[in-house]
Amino acid sequence: MRRALLFLAGCLFLATASRAQNATLQGRVLDARTGEPLPGANVVIPALTRGAATDVDGLYRIEDLPAGTYEVVARFIGYREGRIVVTLQPGATVTQDFALEEDLLQLDEVVVTGQGTSIARRKLATDVAVLTAREIEEAPVLSVDQLLQGRVAGATIRLQSAQPGQAALIDFRGITSVIGSQTPVIYIDGIRVDTELGTSFSLGGELTSALAELITSDIERIEITRGGAASTLYGSDAASGVIQIFTKRGQAGRSTVTIRTELGFDQPETRFLKDTGFSFPQTREDPNDPNYGKTRFIRDNFLKNGFYQNYYVGFSGGSPTFTYNVSGRLQNDTGVQPENENTLYALRANLQAQLRPELEVSFSGSYIRSQFQRLFNGQSIYDPLTTFEVGDALFFSGAETFEEALRIFLLPDVDEGVHRFTAGSTIRFTPSPLFSNKLTVGVDMRANEQRVFLPIEFEPVSGNRGELSRYNRDFSVVTLEYVGTINYPQMGPVTSTFTFGVQGFREDESIITATGTTFALPGTKDLDEAATVTAEETRTQIFNGGIFFQEQLSFFDRLFLEAGLRLDGNSAFGKDVGLQTYPKIGLSYNLHDEPFWRESIGRYISVLKLRAAYGETGKFPSPYARDVTFQATPFRGESAPRFDNPGNPELKPERTATLEAGFDALLFQNRLSLNATFYRARTSDALLYVPEQPVTGKGTQLRNVGVIENVGVELAAEIYVFNRRDLQWSIGLTYHGFRNRMVDMGGAPPFAIFEPWQRVEEGHPVGEWYVTVPIDTNGDGLPDDSEFQFIGKTPYPTKTGSISTSLSLFDNRLQFYALADWATGSLVADYGSAWASFNGIERTVFPTRYDLEGNEIGKFRYREAFIALLKNGDYLKIRELSLRYSLPRTLLRNLPVQRASVTFSVRNVYTFAKQDLVDPELAGWAAPGDLQLGGVQSITLSPPRQFRFAVQVTL
Amino acid sequence: MENYLVKPMRRVITLIGSATCLLLLGLYGAGCDFLDPTRVENPRTTLEDFQKAPEPVAALLPGLRAQFARALGAVVVITEFVTDNFSINGTGLGGTVYDFPRDIKPVDMDRTSRFTGPYWNLQELRALADFLINEVAPNDERATPEQLAEAHYYRGMAYLMLGENFVAVPVEKDGSPVPAAQLLERAINDLEQALGTSAQLPDGVSLDLAARAALARAHRALGHAAPADQFAQQVLAADPEFLFAQGFDASSIDNAPWAYLVARALQEMQPLPRLDFLDPKYIDRESPIPVAKAEEMLLIRAEVALANGDETAARNFMKAARALAASRPVAEFQDDDPRLDNDLNPRPRSSSIVIADEPGAPFRAGLVKDRPGLVTVPLVSATSVTDADIDAASGTALIRLLYLMRQEILFLEARRMHDLGIRLPVMLREINTNPNLNDGDLGTRVFVPDYIPPANEMDLYDPLILYDEQGNLLTNQVTIRIDMNRVLAESRGLVVQNPLLPGQ
Repeated sequence: MRRALLFLAGCLFLATASRAQNATLQGRVLDARTGEPLPGANVVIPALTRGAATDVDGLYRIEDLPAGTYEVVARFIGYREGRIVVTLQPGATVTQDFALEEDLLQLDEVVVTGQGTSIARRKLATDVAVLTAREIEEAPVLSVDQLLQGRVAGATIRLQSAQPGQAALIDFRGITSVIGSQTPVIYIDGIRVDTELGTSFSLGGELTSALAELITSDIERIEITRGGAASTLYGSDAASGVIQIFTKRGQAGRSTVTIRTELGFDQPETRFLKDTGFSFPQTREDPNDPNYGKTRFIRDNFLKNGFYQNYYVGFSGGSPTFTYNVSGRLQNDTGVQPENENTLYALRANLQAQLRPELEVSFSGSYIRSQFQRLFNGQSIYDPLTTFEVGDALFFSGAETFEEALRIFLLPDVDEGVHRFTAGSTIRFTPSPLFSNKLTVGVDMRANEQRVFLPIEFEPVSGNRGELSRYNRDFSVVTLEYVGTINYPQMGPVTSTFTFGVQGFREDESIITATGTTFALPGTKDLDEAATVTAEETRTQIFNGGIFFQEQLSFFDRLFLEAGLRLDGNSAFGKDVGLQTYPKIGLSYNLHDEPFWRESIGRYISVLKLRAAYGETGKFPSPYARDVTFQATPFRGESAPRFDNPGNPELKPERTATLEAGFDALLFQNRLSLNATFYRARTSDALLYVPEQPVTGKGTQLRNVGVIENVGVELAAEIYVFNRRDLQWSIGLTYHGFRNRMVDMGGAPPFAIFEPWQRVEEGHPVGEWYVTVPIDTNGDGLPDDSEFQFIGKTPYPTKTGSISTSLSLFDNRLQFYALADWATGSLVADYGSAWASFNGIERTVFPTRYDLEGNEIGKFRYREAFIALLKNGDYLKIRELSLRYSLPRTLLRNLPVQRASVTFSVRNVYTFAKQDLVDPELAGWAAPGDLQLGGVQSITLSPPRQFRFAVQVTL
Repeated sequence: MENYLVKPMRRVITLIGSATCLLLLGLYGAGCDFLDPTRVENPRTTLEDFQKAPEPVAALLPGLRAQFARALGAVVVITEFVTDNFSINGTGLGGTVYDFPRDIKPVDMDRTSRFTGPYWNLQELRALADFLINEVAPNDERATPEQLAEAHYYRGMAYLMLGENFVAVPVEKDGSPVPAAQLLERAINDLEQALGTSAQLPDGVSLDLAARAALARAHRALGHAAPADQFAQQVLAADPEFLFAQGFDASSIDNAPWAYLVARALQEMQPLPRLDFLDPKYIDRESPIPVAKAEEMLLIRAEVALANGDETAARNFMKAARALAASRPVAEFQDDDPRLDNDLNPRPRSSSIVIADEPGAPFRAGLVKDRPGLVTVPLVSATSVTDADIDAASGTALIRLLYLMRQEILFLEARRMHDLGIRLPVMLREINTNPNLNDGDLGTRVFVPDYIPPANEMDLYDPLILYDEQGNLLTNQVTIRIDMNRVLAESRGLVVQNPLLPGQ
């Protein structure tokens, strides 16, 4: 191997050293339509492996070039490649400008996710979704999951609620597993990061998440694979998809300083609140009651407008051999309900050093500090929102007035702090255009602490004299990846790229929870002053590592064949299970590049790429589920062991095999672009907790016995209504529909994911609602009993989509963007109405119950007629409106300012729903560690309407 | 020029090459564990770890003690609901099915979790003891006879409670159901191996006496009058006030009935109004549950005396039991239970209420306490039966009084369901997972004797609405619909004479 390396390196240097007098190539790279310079574009001479990036004015310059005739390629994200042949005379300076056309289908865009190496999308057999900086930099979002909302076909994204510290449930292409979370794996600059959904006490159903504080600024692009062949090279970890986030690099040339100030306010969404808690007769009818007339108490006294501020300073620049992009950010949001303030500090650095023409070392790192406050929620009787909306706040607090009750309900403190340090380094070594190497090592370390303090004064509600609980989680993940790429020299019409690599990660997690109860004196928040202290500990470690190979063959640069294989080992696999293999194979055909096409159909369909792929991905079992274990609990001063896990030496990953086919097309003189993908994903060896015989004294064991199937279609279309230099208007549409089914449970009995209501049973969608429905047992047409029934709907939407429009005026200086997303097919449980009925408030009307003689005997209780709590989950939400104005250069000419813009945006503008008792876009309750399907909510804080005004100046 | 370029190049390649080789060596090399990212450590005790324990029997024994406590709590909660002692208010146990004995199905035993399920916990106790006795002890040279005697006691108690409360259960993986009579024989076999040692149960109780008390109980259940009397007599001779009560732990395994009696917002366990004065016997998390006590020995001796036709001796044993019960400790307890039924109507909760045990029976006072309020509750035993009642009764009436005393003195100790003759089915999960146990086999159906009334009638009383909307008492006379003690005396007779044992 070393000999081969040396040989290749030698070839390169022989080639580059045989020069006499040096030539220089320079010029500008511009947008062909607008004439705007394109900073950050790459201009390369592939034959010489030489190149340069353009500066802020779109200028590039490559010196020290040997004379000769070369093909020069200019590339910029979102534009089609420009290729020009240039002849360089010895000693001459040649100026060559490039005017790049927008790549409406982004087929020339290079992606790396799931490919091992960089490959243009035109060659891919699968669809990799890409969000570029232009699409996301003005998005008024607080977290990465919000960024994906409505922008990626095939993604279902549902926030739990609008409290700080939380993130959404993310599902790509349906539900492929019934254990653990469906959250995709996320990499930032090649570093695998923590995405755990439950990093705190639940406090009523809502959990904080490691996704919440992930970066939202400095993002250059996001690549998304939704499982299947596109994710195969990630092996036992990729069944839920892979998201790669790339941060901005500095550009050679003048240094820039970017300052951004964003201010705004959040207005609470109140349409799903009824203030029904105050329909108790005494608050309505007695004018002498101190609470008389307070029928809008939640809206008037509890919710408020939140204030938001965000300050960003970024320094970027560099020389041809060293670039940097360093930034700092400070964000504060006071929240729309009390005790919901969130403060975040973030520092980032992205450094690249071109040590030698063939050797580049880059570093990417960030430190994030996030601190926020929360309230109890959902199922907790300490939740002020639920208690005031559907409960009896006066009764629970023992107070006379609502104001006093609210003061008592706000006594608990729930504070959480997160420290997160993510850093990694990548070495790229390209000894020859034929051979390149990349080595990435990185780590993501996250530590958070949640402290829940119920003061002594809260005793009327809590029933105890003070309680302090803390939840400490320490997590680290180390990533190591090596990728080698061999581009074989072209043989006739055939080119070949072979990629191979090693990839592994190791995760260590430690969770310690401790609770102290009963304090003598107020004021203390020290655990060790409590009368009793109890503590628990959970630790897990997991290693996953594998090697992969991929071969890509290109015929006539229009027909592409790829085949790959990943071999994986994992510390969670059973002792009798060896390496797991995940194959993939795919084909793509750029029909529009055929000569016959251009002359005939090409006038109507200028681009048509067909693609088909088969690929397998895995999901590894929980750590230690393979072992036979005992678990001891303390009991009366002794450590008392009992049987724990029965053990399974044959435990292996779930395997999702996806067959997909689709096309990308550009129609009607570039007026319409279309992407479509059909997929069928079959998860075999699905992991289920299979019960042991109770006579053995053992509980359940994770076994590979199930089969789950998801079949669906993803569509994306863009209509270019106007595409002129001074006026561009486009409309975008996405759609995803899927059907999910638990095909086989391998003898494991049906079970419930959430209470009895979300059930997993053969022949039904995972988690289909299984609820009590009134029935008529004696045929008199009147319901007299109730029974559990499947009702054919799921708690998660089965069809999702979005509509967006983008309008650009005055040479691109004024830009307007609007985004709406929608979802249908789900029913959501309005548990707030269950609490209400429990407290004697009729928020939902339950059906009348009759006896066998046909006499009315009152209403069904909610447990007997749960179906009445299920509400239509369809919604359409106007998610974002933004208006951005870039100041013309003429105005800035005499100022030390290169660019300046102002942006006004609104997020969560308006929700169209078919009912107004429960916000259908929220996921509501979740339970740590298990599959999260969402769909059950108490009274839940809806995302507020966020108004933002931002000024950005680049010096 | 060439050399100038190639030399450092070569050095870089050599460096990177060596570094990579070193790294790979470090990662996968045998001697470099500190760099091995693949090593993971299970923080729980694995089988391999367990096999390295120096004294595995001593290590497992606390596990048996804890599991016994879990099983005892679970058996008390569920079996007391099935009887006339308690009815269910609310939904904390998946509905009210346990109040309707004939409707209980294997799936209802699945509703109980690994923490609240009697079947599950008794089988786990049995399986853990099997593991200790059959697999661990033979290889543990340091295991003492006292430790093994204690293990046999717990397995014997598992068999005893399975034999008293279930029709038939498998006792090994893939096993066929073993009928109750054989389960009781197995109990006797194990309990006899716990005799004659100086071992002590936690809290210093004599293991020997606890085992003898359990043997008296097992022989009674099998209808063996003479040995039942003999073991009971031995316990009383050794300690006339003998008491073994299982303690609990506030921070881990607490008293399971306490949760449903006291702790939960909906106090699911609502007693039959005539037993109100005994409730809640367990007033905090750690309250011990009596497992064996001298009162029960006296009542067993009374039962054997009645079986032998000696009413005078029986009366003396019953009076001794009453006197002993009266000498047991009581506690003051602030009870916040508003005594609500499933329709949120108050159940009897005023001390002015008088109760008839059935229509036509005399009204008795002093059985209901004022709640919510401060109440005095017995912690071990109490009875409403007086010496005069005992002296005045004979024949069936005396048997009825014996059942009433057993019901009151052994309240919340999981004896009533066995006295009523009701037996539970196995869990559905057992049927679904065991290839040698099919739906319809012995043990898969609840057993309810014909004399048990339909539906939940054992739990009912009249009138249902006792208070007006302002909480004023509308009537102070409450009549229980059926006196189950009379029914038992008339229809079943004595347990020791009519053990109603499937498989016997």
